[in-house]
Amino acid sequence: MKGATIGISGITKSFGDFQALKGVSLDIRKGEFFSLLGPSGCGKTTLLRIIGGFEEPSSGRVEIDGEDILPLPPNMRHANTVFQNYALFPHLTVYENVAFPLRLKSIKRKSLDELVMYYLRLVELDGHAAKRPSMLSGGQKQRVAIARALINEPSVLLLDEPLSALDAKLRHHMLMELDQIHDKVGITFVYVTHDQSEALSVSDRIAVMDRGNVLQVGTPREIYESPSTTFVAQFIGETNIIDGTIESSGGRWFVVDAGGMGRVKVTDPRGYRVGDRVTLTVRPEKLRITPLGMAATEDSNSFVGTVDESVYSGFLSKYYVRLESGAVMRVFRQHGDQGEGEGLGWDDRVCVSWNPRDTFIVEGARG
Amino acid sequence: MSRKRRSASKAVFIGCMVFLFVPLAVLIFFSFNENKAPIFTQFSLVWYRKLFTESSSLWTAFFRSITIALAASATATVIGTLAAIGVHWHRFPLKTYVQAITYIPLVLPEIIIGMSLLAFFAGIRMPVFGHSLAIGIPMTLGWLTIFIAHATFCLPFAYMMVLARLDEFDSSIIEAARDLGATEVQTLLRVIIPVSKPGIISGFLTSLTLSLEDFTITYFVSGVSSTMPMVVYSQMYKGGVSPVINALSSIMILGTVVLAFLARRWLKYIAASS
Amino acid sequence: MSGPKRRRKRNYGTIYTLPLVVWFTLFFLVPLLIIVLFSFLAADIDGGVLPRFSIAAFTGLAKPRILKLFVNTIWVSLASTAITILMALPCAYFMARSKNKTMLLILVIIPFWTNFIIRIFAWKSILEANGVINSVLMGIGLVASPLQLEHNWAAVILINVYTYLTYAILPLFSTIEKFDFTLLEAAQDLGATKMQAITKVLLPNVRSGIVTAVFFTFIPLLGSFVVQQLIGTKDMYMLGNEINDNIYKYFDWPTAYALAVALMMLANVGLVFVMMSERKQARTLGARRVDEAAA
Repeated sequence: MKGATIGISGITKSFGDFQALKGVSLDIRKGEFFSLLGPSGCGKTTLLRIIGGFEEPSSGRVEIDGEDILPLPPNMRHANTVFQNYALFPHLTVYENVAFPLRLKSIKRKSLDELVMYYLRLVELDGHAAKRPSMLSGGQKQRVAIARALINEPSVLLLDEPLSALDAKLRHHMLMELDQIHDKVGITFVYVTHDQSEALSVSDRIAVMDRGNVLQVGTPREIYESPSTTFVAQFIGETNIIDGTIESSGGRWFVVDAGGMGRVKVTDPRGYRVGDRVTLTVRPEKLRITPLGMAATEDSNSFVGTVDESVYSGFLSKYYVRLESGAVMRVFRQHGDQGEGEGLGWDDRVCVSWNPRDTFIVEGARG
Repeated sequence: MSRKRRSASKAVFIGCMVFLFVPLAVLIFFSFNENKAPIFTQFSLVWYRKLFTESSSLWTAFFRSITIALAASATATVIGTLAAIGVHWHRFPLKTYVQAITYIPLVLPEIIIGMSLLAFFAGIRMPVFGHSLAIGIPMTLGWLTIFIAHATFCLPFAYMMVLARLDEFDSSIIEAARDLGATEVQTLLRVIIPVSKPGIISGFLTSLTLSLEDFTITYFVSGVSSTMPMVVYSQMYKGGVSPVINALSSIMILGTVVLAFLARRWLKYIAASS
Repeated sequence: MSGPKRRRKRNYGTIYTLPLVVWFTLFFLVPLLIIVLFSFLAADIDGGVLPRFSIAAFTGLAKPRILKLFVNTIWVSLASTAITILMALPCAYFMARSKNKTMLLILVIIPFWTNFIIRIFAWKSILEANGVINSVLMGIGLVASPLQLEHNWAAVILINVYTYLTYAILPLFSTIEKFDFTLLEAAQDLGATKMQAITKVLLPNVRSGIVTAVFFTFIPLLGSFVVQQLIGTKDMYMLGNEINDNIYKYFDWPTAYALAVALMMLANVGLVFVMMSERKQARTLGARRVDEAAA
């Protein structure tokens, strides 16, 4: 069995007065690399533990390939878990850790050895078979945990913040390796993380969670470029938030009256109408910064302001521009871009502009 | 920096070791004395000969002590290990009760445990709502009551030592075992018990130590059944201890020295969890 | 949604602890309650109790003789504990800083494996009139007639210290071993003398070990009776001796068990005292921290 669909419907979970999950529904596709992304305490780990069988939901239903799995104990589910702290058995060698699931069944010695070595090679640990977990580095421990979880040939692999204990460089490397392993074994991965860059770089789809709710499900591009709520926009990278009221529609765009800041053009109203109060977002790297006086094009949003602060950070520069309304806009400009903005610094008068297509309504209320 | 300080502590340590070992040396010394009185006259193995030829009742008492110590330690270790596993990894209604009741004996003088069991085993009958009920379980004092008493006072120690070991691990290795297909019993046998092995062994050794060392509790529950310490006590009480006791004690001391070196790996856990 | 199909997780916690709960309730808790029960009953003529309520056992305790036993019990236990801890602390410190910890630990534990009563017997053969010390002293002509070395307070306390020294060293060793000794260097770097570093940095940090060592020593000492009986005199008798005599000599069980109740209360007073000083310590530390924050 290669990969399985997971159907989650109406899952709630309370710990005493605390509601960890408030009715979560998700459909995870066969063979997908699916991430549950959110800040700590959002319920993502609880949801994973419910799928794995370590927590019982207060209500709701979880199906793997259409079969209700909630009545099954963890050992009867076709899902295996890679634990955050690896959870390797300290009394067993690397080889025996990986062989553990097979030793529980009566499997012929020869095929057991073949399987164990196959999975140790998959995670590039065949040279460390005789070592104890205590002798391994963090990254190696993580790989043992992955091999051990895969050897049962589950149709779903559950990964609970598997990289959080590793340092930044190793984390990136392991992430790429996870991606390759996913490609090789082809089963469904459910990956829990609080790190948006991890989730964006490897996932087929992402569910962004906050306070027990799923806020948005989509591909990394959808989540990043058209976030559905302010929270999603702010959690996935940095962004600019603008509040206003839809003033008019017509032609190629809608115009939002953003109070003292002025008027902002939007192309997609997302079902809101004139008079509705809305929140807009635009990513800092979509903004252009130019010295005052350079002509802004007619079909862009453009505002005049003063550079409050500019931060050089390697491949890009970050500018914080105070508009005349007092609002501060963040602008990221990648180095190597030709021309405009070069040499801008503190207290320079500038023009900030962007294409209305890059502005999204993330929240709103009927006016 | 603390060279001077440590030389002071070294002096105290050496002094304490002399203090601890001199009585044992005296015991051994007089076991080789020809004379009965504690005045050394001439080297002799007479007491060893007597020990091996005419001291069958002493040997009976000795083996009774050893058997009771082994049985009580094994019982305490099995029950204590299971309880530690239960308390560490599960939530259940009696948890607070278990935690409280295993703590109490540590803050009670031993004599209390001894005399409470004496009363319990007396099983005195009392009228309760018109029925005559035994208060406790009437049992003739003997090796069985000593065994029960020893297992009881060793239990909290065995339990706490396993618990201390389990505290070094979090529940995820159990979840991992279950996740990978192990049943509850397989998890117990293949993960939990191997992982707690150092705690289990040191719990057993501590129980053994306490059981061999104990006199006070044994005193109240032994009845006519004489264990080794009871024999020595009654001889001392009557005023004359046979040097055969010296000979047997010397053999025991030698045995414990050998045992201590064999078990040295585990001894450090005894200290670590006390 | 929890249909009938849903598997209720079996409560393994209860299953695992059941043997302990049964064993300990039966052989520890019930006997403990029997102590209290017996103390409120009338004495049977040849030991045991009669099913008749009586507080005679408690009223009978209000005698100067019993009061003296309380005084003896408390001061002998306190003195023995204090000396034991004072000896055990430097020992444990030295062991914890040694490179050969396991070896030293074995040394400390070995005497512990010889039965308590046999060790008392060994001490008796050292201290008695024709014992080791007197033989040596008379042999070299330092004294003409044997010194009276047993049957005095010093002998009783000496053997108490001997018995509980290991009990005190072990917990002290395990806490001092975990102590970060660079803190001592830091303290000295900041101007503390060696002694100040020890008393102001080391001791407060190994407090829990000291408390455990005090428990392991003081509490069993409260109920001791064998040493006084075999090495001391009747004047040195403690509550434990009175309990022993009431059970085996006077066959007055209610009095013995009333004394046991008193003894448990005494142990609890000690316990509460230690816990209160613990809390006071925490409070002064807390207050100091607030002061520092304010400054």
